Amino acid sequence: MISGTRTPARREFLLRQAPALALLAAARPARAFALPELMTLLAARRSGEARFTEERFVQGLDAPLHSSGTLSFTAPDRLVRRTLSPRPESMVAEGNTLTLTRGGRSRSFALDAAPEMVALVEAIRGTLTGNAASLARHFRTRLSGDAERWLLELQPLDALLARQLRSVQIGGRRDEVRSVETLLAGGDRTTMAIEPVRAAPPAASAPP
Amino acid sequence: MSRVLAAPGPRRAGLALALWLAALALGLALIARAPFSADLSAFLPSDPDAEQRLLIQQIEGGVAARMLLIGIDGGDAAARADASRRLAAGLRASGLFEQVQNGERGGRAADDAGPAAAVAAGGGEQDAGRWLFEHRYQLSPSVTPERFGAAGLREAIDETLGLLGTPAGNAFKPLLDRDPTGETLRIAEGLIPAQAPRSEQGVWMARRAPRALLLATVRAPGADLDAQARAIARVRAEFAPLAAPGLALRLSGAPLFAVDSRAAIEAEVKQLAAVGALVMGGLLLLAFASLRAVAVAALPVVTGIVCGVAGVALAFPSVHGLTLAFGSTLIGEAVDYAIYYLIQARGAAAAGPAAAGEGWRAWLAHSWPTVRLGLLTSVAGFAALSFSGFPGLAQLGVFSIAGLAGAAATTRYLLPALVPDGAAGQGLRRHMARLAGAALHALPRLRTPLLVAGALALPALALQWQHLWRAGLGSLSPVPRAAQALDAELRAELGAGDARTLVLASGADREAALQAAEAAAPRLDALVEQGVLAGYETPARVLPSLATQRARQASLPDAATLSAALAEATAGGPLPAARLAPFVDALQAARRQAPLERAALDATPLAPLVDALLLQRPEGGYTALLALQPAGEEVDAARVRAALQGLPGGHRLQVIDIKQQLDALYARYLHEASVQALLGALAVVALLAAWLRSAPRLLAVCQPLALAVLLTLGGLALAGVALGILHLVGLLLVVAVGSNYALFFDQVQQRSLAAGGADDDTLASLLLANLTTVASFGLLALSPIPALSAIGRVVAPGALLALLLAAAFARRRAG
Repeated sequence: MISGTRTPARREFLLRQAPALALLAAARPARAFALPELMTLLAARRSGEARFTEERFVQGLDAPLHSSGTLSFTAPDRLVRRTLSPRPESMVAEGNTLTLTRGGRSRSFALDAAPEMVALVEAIRGTLTGNAASLARHFRTRLSGDAERWLLELQPLDALLARQLRSVQIGGRRDEVRSVETLLAGGDRTTMAIEPVRAAPPAASAPP
Repeated sequence: MSRVLAAPGPRRAGLALALWLAALALGLALIARAPFSADLSAFLPSDPDAEQRLLIQQIEGGVAARMLLIGIDGGDAAARADASRRLAAGLRASGLFEQVQNGERGGRAADDAGPAAAVAAGGGEQDAGRWLFEHRYQLSPSVTPERFGAAGLREAIDETLGLLGTPAGNAFKPLLDRDPTGETLRIAEGLIPAQAPRSEQGVWMARRAPRALLLATVRAPGADLDAQARAIARVRAEFAPLAAPGLALRLSGAPLFAVDSRAAIEAEVKQLAAVGALVMGGLLLLAFASLRAVAVAALPVVTGIVCGVAGVALAFPSVHGLTLAFGSTLIGEAVDYAIYYLIQARGAAAAGPAAAGEGWRAWLAHSWPTVRLGLLTSVAGFAALSFSGFPGLAQLGVFSIAGLAGAAATTRYLLPALVPDGAAGQGLRRHMARLAGAALHALPRLRTPLLVAGALALPALALQWQHLWRAGLGSLSPVPRAAQALDAELRAELGAGDARTLVLASGADREAALQAAEAAAPRLDALVEQGVLAGYETPARVLPSLATQRARQASLPDAATLSAALAEATAGGPLPAARLAPFVDALQAARRQAPLERAALDATPLAPLVDALLLQRPEGGYTALLALQPAGEEVDAARVRAALQGLPGGHRLQVIDIKQQLDALYARYLHEASVQALLGALAVVALLAAWLRSAPRLLAVCQPLALAVLLTLGGLALAGVALGILHLVGLLLVVAVGSNYALFFDQVQQRSLAAGGADDDTLASLLLANLTTVASFGLLALSPIPALSAIGRVVAPGALLALLLAAAFARRRAG
């Protein structure tokens, strides 16, 4: 997902977009793309907005469950998932506080008190913020692909949580997260496709 | 009577001895039967108002009084988690604990009960989850008639399905067929605390330290300190084999504080008594150079302590440990009487016209009236304290009155029989007398500077009067600072910080109280929605009122109606109605379920949860406590109060802030004690006026007392000491002790007028008496128990000042 305001990183980003540099990158295909590199790439981004569509494949149900909405993220630690369809719902993670609003009721609680929620939030938030330490605290990580098309696989370290959650796979392109796939222990699966919302033409930080 | 007892001869001596022995035996018998306590009760009022009574009930018997906070430090996360599980299992098996929580969720077997199990009272208990699941149609606040129509069902099922396919919803999946509307989730949602500890490896872990966390609620009442001590010992014993892999146990909580305080007070009593006796004995030996004199001087002291403790045992249901510790200072005061007698009777025998064996007569004639007056002024001072609504102070008052009276009576009646001419030894007394004489000569020159100092202190003290008396109830706490810090840390980590703001929903019976609590719930929910509150606890979530349960049951449709609605609701959806037959059956069964009463919870771990929040009031009726969790630093009580106005059904709920209540309680003590101290001081002055019958003499006696109080206060203020109720008691003691000195100087003055010579022995006895007093209170000042050191730090310097000032302001000869 996620484009938008890039403050000091913008100039650098535009430079990277330059064809010469792209050629340079393409000229060295053998070089492995490592986690620190991805994290640095992602950490440069301070905020973003995206739309998502999600499909859940739950065993025992006749059809997959669809939902869609928006995702937004603001460094250092605010992540909002707003479901617009089929029912309005929201999940706001900020620091260690998680606020869930469902059925017109809001509840706030400590995120780290509920390991399932930590996994859900931290996989995405940790990736978006390029927080390698946070990811390493909760997951075993495996990165494949290259900067243009990477796939980060996360497996929970907590043994109890691993009984519920098999893995989270996050796919992206450069500093944009484009998909999140969650695999549960029972075989249920959720895939989320993320489409960054291009921010309005950046006025203040536009290069001359 | 005094004529009979004053009659000379062996018959009188024998009678005095017999009476003394009888009194001592009676006192000891009373003491032997008296229960001793060292709990918080001495610091709580005996005649509280209704709100305070509830608060006290909570402090004494509430869950907080029985809750141990446990930390396991060190090792790696896996080792800590393993130790946490083993310790919890051991403690649960011990039967000493009502509940042991460590964040564990019933394990694999709990899958059936799902998230509700995870939630039950903070986790841990699988059968709580099962119970909540079984009674979901009585407990879920979502149960309304609309909920089970086609539209309501569709909405509810969609919401439940929204959770599936996520790690959080996965555990609920097995319940879907029986609970497609997610009532269990709805109940669980209400029971999830807003502030819960971090969960790692399936157990609670601290956020800021490598530490596993547990909460253990002792089954025995908080006031049963022996049982609390056993429970604490059990925790340590269960942990001992786990300590090997580099792990350390951290314990805290009210039971530990109570048990430790009791031990500390007991140790302190013994230590103060032993050191006090040694120091006193040493001083007396220096003064008399005679073991016999020391032994005789100990008699009024021992008698005084026995009388004091026996008096308290008679007047109060139990004798508090602090009273005993304080009693050791009585050594310093009671020994004064013996010193006056031993020195002055001797002096009278040696110098006066009386023959050998008649020294006591001279003492009786010249000095006893002064001692008696000093005793009466002390009694007047303490009498005011005895009526305090604060049992701790009242005990001190009664103890001091009985103790001083006993010591004085022993001096007056027993000592003449044993040592008619006082103490024979001379020791260093001559030097003391010379020193005192020189001081008496020199000190009056300091009058002007002392008066100036007093005059300066007065406005300075008046200006910052409120700030001066800033010590709160916490200043009385005998819990060491490091232990308080650990406690605060563990509490913050566990989210067990005492809920500071409570809503009280009261009623004539359980049902009425629960209905009142339910009436408040929508208003509180709105405050949670607006972000004013993070959440709140209410017993009605686990035990709804019967009226509410009946209304919910009446909302459940019959099988045919439900099946029809269900078919419509699930048409075209991913969850086929055919799968939901178990739901239809469960709902039909729920229509026939008997309403839940309190007894239904007995077999579940939820019983303590409800009992902690639904209290039987000592004066009758019930109160439901709704503990509010602040969204920020603290709860805006005014806003909560406003939100709870005009509840349907005319329910009137109270919002109380516990810290405010305790502060108010303490302010009340302080105010009450100030009035009593003032009355006591007035009584002292009135007594002196009645006795002296002379304005100049009264002034000469009162002036040094007033100055001593003023300068002591000034010194404490300069030292930056936060003054509290016990400092006030100390000041009263300064007046009581100091009045004796001033009176003796008055007596010296009167006699010098008559005899034309300074009375060396009186001066020596005064100096010695003062030294013993300063020494005994000085020891108290060093005590690690704040309540004792506060008194000591006032009286030790205050008494010394009182003597010096009395000397400085003694009226000059033929003045």
